[in-house]
Amino acid sequence: MSDILKLRNIGISAHIDSGKTTLSERILYYSNRIHTIHEVRGKDGVGATMDSMELERERGITIASAATHVNWKNHPINVIDTPGHVDFTIEVERSLRVLDGAILVLCSVAGVQSQSITVDRQMKRYHVPRIAFVNKCDRTGANPYKVKAQLIEKLDLNAVLMQIPIGLEDKLEGVVDLVKMKALYFDGLSGDIIREEEIPSHLLKEATEKRTEMLDTVSLVSDELMEAMLEESVTEELIHKAVRKGTVALQLVPVFMGSAYKNKGIQPLLDAVVNYLPDPSEVVNTALDLNNNEESVVLKSDDNAPAVVLGFKLEDGQYGQLTYIRVFQGKIKKGDELYNSRNRRKFKVGRLVRMHASSMEDINEAGSGSIAALFGIECASGDTFCHPSLNYSMTSMYVPKPVISLALNPADKKSSDNMAKALNRFTKEDPTFTTYVDSESNQTIIQGMGELHLEVYVERMRREYKAIVQTDQPQVAYRESISQRADFNYTHKKQTGGSGQFARVAGYIEPLKSNEDEKDYEFVNQIKGGVIPTEYIPSCDKGFQTAIQKGTQLGFPIVEVRAVINDGSFHPVDSSDMAFQAAALGAFREVYDKAKPIILEPIMKVAVEGPTEFQGNIFGSINQRRGVIVSSSEDGTNCTVEAEVPLSEMFGYSTVLRSLTQGKAEYTMELAKYNRVPQSIAEQLKAEYLEKKKKEQK
Amino acid sequence: MEIEKLNALSPLRAFDESLNGGLGKGNLGVLVSRHGIGKTACLVHLATDKLFRNEHIIHVSFSGNVEHVINWYKEVFRQISDGRSLEDATAIYNGILANRVVMNFSQDNIPIDKVLSSLETLIKQGSFNADAVMFDGYKLTMATEEDVKKIKQFAQDLRLEAWFSVSPVRPDVTFDENGVPSSIIKYVDLIDVLIGLKYNEAMDKVIMTLVKQGPVVEPKLMRVTLDPKTMLISE
Repeated sequence: MSDILKLRNIGISAHIDSGKTTLSERILYYSNRIHTIHEVRGKDGVGATMDSMELERERGITIASAATHVNWKNHPINVIDTPGHVDFTIEVERSLRVLDGAILVLCSVAGVQSQSITVDRQMKRYHVPRIAFVNKCDRTGANPYKVKAQLIEKLDLNAVLMQIPIGLEDKLEGVVDLVKMKALYFDGLSGDIIREEEIPSHLLKEATEKRTEMLDTVSLVSDELMEAMLEESVTEELIHKAVRKGTVALQLVPVFMGSAYKNKGIQPLLDAVVNYLPDPSEVVNTALDLNNNEESVVLKSDDNAPAVVLGFKLEDGQYGQLTYIRVFQGKIKKGDELYNSRNRRKFKVGRLVRMHASSMEDINEAGSGSIAALFGIECASGDTFCHPSLNYSMTSMYVPKPVISLALNPADKKSSDNMAKALNRFTKEDPTFTTYVDSESNQTIIQGMGELHLEVYVERMRREYKAIVQTDQPQVAYRESISQRADFNYTHKKQTGGSGQFARVAGYIEPLKSNEDEKDYEFVNQIKGGVIPTEYIPSCDKGFQTAIQKGTQLGFPIVEVRAVINDGSFHPVDSSDMAFQAAALGAFREVYDKAKPIILEPIMKVAVEGPTEFQGNIFGSINQRRGVIVSSSEDGTNCTVEAEVPLSEMFGYSTVLRSLTQGKAEYTMELAKYNRVPQSIAEQLKAEYLEKKKKEQK
Repeated sequence: MEIEKLNALSPLRAFDESLNGGLGKGNLGVLVSRHGIGKTACLVHLATDKLFRNEHIIHVSFSGNVEHVINWYKEVFRQISDGRSLEDATAIYNGILANRVVMNFSQDNIPIDKVLSSLETLIKQGSFNADAVMFDGYKLTMATEEDVKKIKQFAQDLRLEAWFSVSPVRPDVTFDENGVPSSIIKYVDLIDVLIGLKYNEAMDKVIMTLVKQGPVVEPKLMRVTLDPKTMLISE
């Protein structure tokens, strides 16, 4: 049984292409998990070990966060590889929930990029302590000092250099450890042998300066170190202790450097993970007690407490469904009974394994803080499993609404069946990915966070499920709403023979303004004197809710609307639940046009980065897309342009941007808000919708 | 309160009046003081007032963190809209966002040519018809006469107002009784409006002195002051 104080659960988060997967690969290598190193997009055709899905190998990107277990100097470490592309942010957020600390990987040339800012924001939200690794110091233009300055300036982090480089670019030889004040070189074919030497004389002055700078910063979080500095009795141990304290308390971000590709600086980074990042017991985690009004409870990292476990990721492997779990409290053993607080079902823990990227190891139990995987559990991603005596749910994670949809047309019956299987799996794995069958066109629609997000799933259907599907043009997930109050007075009546139906509702609908809780719908009952009997009030509510599911302008959901009823009448025999639902539905449909309906569209926050010489082209491309430029930052050779652009204008932007900038610029985007569509475009959309409807009717 | 009424009641009307109607396009205006008096807030208030009146603004900063600048705008907007109970504040705020671009230069000692060429790129290729450019923290005291002439030419060519907030870079600079540092005197001829900011302890206000306007160098106190608590211009 490993000691919880030695355990580390860490994530590796970064901008796409800053070499995160390569770094993970090296970590596995040095901790003896794998015996040879495979490169991402490597020549040997094997691909990096962490990118377990075939597709990831081909595209050179990491999609799913595989968890893997390694050992470094007698410390068990769970490494979670997280995707870097913003379309997969939910994966990043989900892994942050189960991490106790993280390595923020930055490219020494590009520095803090827009994606690093997004990832850092997420880490702040989940209070994840982090250390920074400035990678690719062997590249032309490498400048770890600039990156450290950007961490302070752009991310407001109290970054402190723990090392300085020995040589840079193609002359990178190693690093100077500012705590030990020794030079470290990495010898051998794969940098396995660390050679510790005196600091080269030409670097001594700089190293001394940077050490003083480091001590000055670190001593601000530790009185003990401050005193020791005054008494000139600073020890390595004291520094480690202070840096650890500052890092765990999110007051410091120690910065390390090297080149994963050139096998330099990885082992000291692993030492830093062990030395400075927290063990599970140092992190406060809470759950909601469903038996006690969702009261928040602090979980104890104690093996003897009743178990609380979060299933944070599902994977469909060759051996069936695998559920990645993190034990937050207590421990679980094979044969234990657990309770899924979402579907209120009990199940027995069957096979319990510890995962390497694509191989596994059977274990008998998993203690507090550990990350493992279960076989054959029927559940969804994000479910909480607990000891049958508890009814806890881990705090619900923030799930953004989908902004884009795509209609799928399977090629044949077999593909159709396989597609259904695949969709069933994907929607369980990824809460930002949803699917439904459009009742009018009978097409299967998938929805997600961006073009790439959906593309990847369509690809996976083809590869993993042999489902051949044609896709239509991606569709923006518009919303409908109303712009003014409109009154209704509607009678639903069918009283010709047999048991009749009668209900009358009156009131008004109005826009739900200054929407602080981002509520989409509100129902207000102002009925007095029982003109509508109490038992039929919920029926009215239900009728309105049916009405807002699909607006009549474009067939999208209606949001930000308040429905108020203040009058009505009923019939002692002919009124019923159904009749009042029908009346409310009819009333809404009738009054909707009078409330001056509008169309809302998703506006994306877009960040484009590229060389300054292309700034004009970038501005122009945003301007052509109904975009609003929010800011533009230049730091010498590079510029970042931030803008708000309607999603509908962003289709195919990556191709356009590539050709405008000779492939030197890239962009990321995320949902910023919903805005009203300009009148001319709204008219056009409505005309297209009518056209489509007509076609379907034929 | 409606936006038109808010604009009419704004203390910035008194500010403009002191300048005989405002700075005017093609001209350079400078707010100058020691560090920490509230020039940035003052500049942002000037800009916000222009945005309220549907003008387009480019805010040029040299700090490296765009977020900080945007927060200044948010805060100034919040203070004004709360103070006057502005109607439809959220919609108005969203509306003015489209008329403001923040341009940030984090390179040390960036040549003014580079700054002006980026501004021109934004205005022309980004089709952003700026009415005014607010230079926040540009080291005007370190600039050469040639640099200042280029800025003036730029303002005239593109028909826009250029406002600067300036604090001296060197610590040994002396200030006159209006808060104007000696290091700025060398281009005083090129500056169309020069306003000195100085904290007055007795009044607990930052008083604003119109040191120079057009060719007239005859310091006179303005009717407006800067409230050190809200950092807003007030009457």
